[in-house]
Amino acid sequence: MPENERIPAPLIAEALKEAFRAQRTAPPAGGEPLGWVLSVPDTHQRSLIAELEGDADLRLLTCSTEDEANAIAAGLHTGGAEVALMIQHAGLYASVNTLRGVGLDGGAPLFALVGLLSREPDLEPRDSPRSMVRFAGPLMDTFGVPHALLETRADLGLIPEYYALSRERSGPAVVFVGRETA
Amino acid sequence: MRPEDALRAINEARGEALVVPTMTAVPAWRAIAPDAPGVACVGFMGGASSLGLGLALARPERRVIVLDGDGSLLMQLGSLATVAGAAPANYTHLLFANGVYQTSGSQAIPGAGAIDFAAMAEAAGYAFTARIDTLEELRIRLPELLGVRGPVLAELAVEEAELTPMTAPGGDPLRVQIQRLRERLAEER
Repeated sequence: MPENERIPAPLIAEALKEAFRAQRTAPPAGGEPLGWVLSVPDTHQRSLIAELEGDADLRLLTCSTEDEANAIAAGLHTGGAEVALMIQHAGLYASVNTLRGVGLDGGAPLFALVGLLSREPDLEPRDSPRSMVRFAGPLMDTFGVPHALLETRADLGLIPEYYALSRERSGPAVVFVGRETA
Repeated sequence: MRPEDALRAINEARGEALVVPTMTAVPAWRAIAPDAPGVACVGFMGGASSLGLGLALARPERRVIVLDGDGSLLMQLGSLATVAGAAPANYTHLLFANGVYQTSGSQAIPGAGAIDFAAMAEAAGYAFTARIDTLEELRIRLPELLGVRGPVLAELAVEEAELTPMTAPGGDPLRVQIQRLRERLAEER
């Protein structure tokens, strides 16, 4: 896949905003952000993190662990806020009990952008020789979590689609970021 | 101090606060404050401080009280840094420090008796910290702990609880609690 097809971070930020706006019943008021992005920094999405750090509409909160990010997201959702997670596949593996407890049992609509660091661009993730990449999708299948792969600009609609899906099913939904963001 | 007595004192002082209990605080809190708005966290140990943080960030006008345990906090100790970094002024973290994993049989936590959780929270950047050893002191200081600019952490030196989530299971499923509180908070807006 050519280098110029990497997705620019501002487009992903806009897709997140579109996802949040579609769910809100009223515009933000009194210093409230449009939505929150909870990040455990992911190499694959570092340009997006930099983009969000300067975004006035979204509030970026860096968390120590993905377990925390899942539980904070549940609290923000309970309080009426819109929220998305940005993590790495290693963090997805690390936080499966919280994903299970909060997302599946608790019904918290946990939407996550999950970077597939080291994913080979010419291979499907399921065919990767790297276990981190290969097992991420099957792990979500085991949990019954819907997931999709974000690769090009044409896939940006997956972000509002899967964000809405997480709200409709009251549970987790994942968009894997298959290529490093530009 | 007996944790049940501490919870009664907290209930008397809580006002309109949202309350997030976990582990051994859950059965007693359910009995003492059945109508208190909040979410009880069991099944993802260490998550109460984070779920409470999310509530506090979403609802900055409401005080949020997390009724945490020392063993639970150790499972997500990094949450001290995350809470301090987010700096919610409305966040009060009450740590029930009994020195054991009571639910699983009262095994000593790592470093039992030697860890200073209040000092840890202060070093992480909490705005206000305290260590409270008696019920009388807790009663006196609760208005301060619930009114001062947070994040606040108070380490409460407590005995083991009468009940645990294993000996006294029950209460609504997490899914029901989350949905009910979300609807209640939406109605209040």
